[in-house]
Amino acid sequence: MTTLSNPKSTEKSNPHWIEWLTGLVSIVFILALIGWIGWDALGPRDPAPELSIRILGTIGEGAGYHVRFEIANAAKATAAGVVVRGQILDGDRALETIETTFDYVPMNSTASGGLIFRSDPTGHSLRISAVGYSDP
Amino acid sequence: MPSPRTVADFDHRRFVVGLSRGIAGALLFALPMFLTMEMWELGFYIDRARLCLLLTVNVPLLIVLARRIGFERTSSWREAVRDAAIAYFLGILASTAILVAIGVLRLGQAATEIVGTVALQAVPASIGALLGRSQLGQHQDDKDEEGSPPDTSYAGELFMMAVGALFLGLNVAPTEEMILLSYKMTPWHAIAVILASIALMHGFVYALSFSGGHGLEEGTPGWHAFVRFTVPGYLVAFLVSVYCLWTFHRFDDVDLVEAAITAGVLGFPSGIGAASARLIL
Repeated sequence: MTTLSNPKSTEKSNPHWIEWLTGLVSIVFILALIGWIGWDALGPRDPAPELSIRILGTIGEGAGYHVRFEIANAAKATAAGVVVRGQILDGDRALETIETTFDYVPMNSTASGGLIFRSDPTGHSLRISAVGYSDP
Repeated sequence: MPSPRTVADFDHRRFVVGLSRGIAGALLFALPMFLTMEMWELGFYIDRARLCLLLTVNVPLLIVLARRIGFERTSSWREAVRDAAIAYFLGILASTAILVAIGVLRLGQAATEIVGTVALQAVPASIGALLGRSQLGQHQDDKDEEGSPPDTSYAGELFMMAVGALFLGLNVAPTEEMILLSYKMTPWHAIAVILASIALMHGFVYALSFSGGHGLEEGTPGWHAFVRFTVPGYLVAFLVSVYCLWTFHRFDDVDLVEAAITAGVLGFPSGIGAASARLIL
């Protein structure tokens, strides 16, 4: 209990046991949090992000051919400003090249997005890859 | 219970001043959020289930807050519900007015965008409206209230800390800086920030002798207050941070350690807010 007698409040010296229990639970929680982050800090870091792309599917829509994809970062390093380039290839020749940018692809995380092509990717080979990033 | 008022002795001036203070409080609390780009965008894309949960959680929050401090010094739960409803309405009103005035909301936008943006901003604005009444005007008008305020229960103390954590935390939680900082920081930085937050919280309330600061009864060791109030206060601030970040989609598809570091970053302003609430509210 706290006695509010302005301007200074005084904590009572004979608190209810629930206050001690709450304090104890909080201490355990915070120590666990610090321990967990600290344990992670002791582990190895990766020097660079490791980006891979998985195509989720194509939706034909009014404006074009909408290819959804998921970009995953398997490394313990975050990538910022990730540029993803998509190409529809006819042999070695690129029929169409478009790009999109992801603000962040955090470490051990995924993000998803889409590219909208003007030409139909079916029947051609479709290549989507991350071509660049910056360190945050 | 106050004696029932008739229509004749209803004090119109006092009522209007109360409402105006509510609007002023909404502005004071929520203006930084009205002017934050991420908050406008969130209004468009925030998951409707999370928005709905936030709007629902805000109702009991406002009612309990109104019970403790409010438009009128409320003496019953019924009046608290009434005051909470007024505050919520004022929050919606203030949000709509400001968002229209700064050109974020325009005619011709999809209804779901408009509703989402206003609803999201109305949450901090309504909390501000309630706080505004009590914090901006208590000292002149309310002299007629006799005696000192009642004892604050332990749960009440933790609740006020949560409100304080929301107060500062909500202002920065939607910004990109929160996640960017967690990417820039190493885990060691995060641990240092967590420890510094706890130390600052304790210092704010017990060591710096601000007016409204707390003391201990004679013969109580200092660590008692640390264990009973400061550490649970930090936990409350941390959990409030986690909830805010989750609501604002900052935890989607993110590594758990990274999420914990982000929450630790937000826990810093939230913790300061929680400690300040013990001084001010």
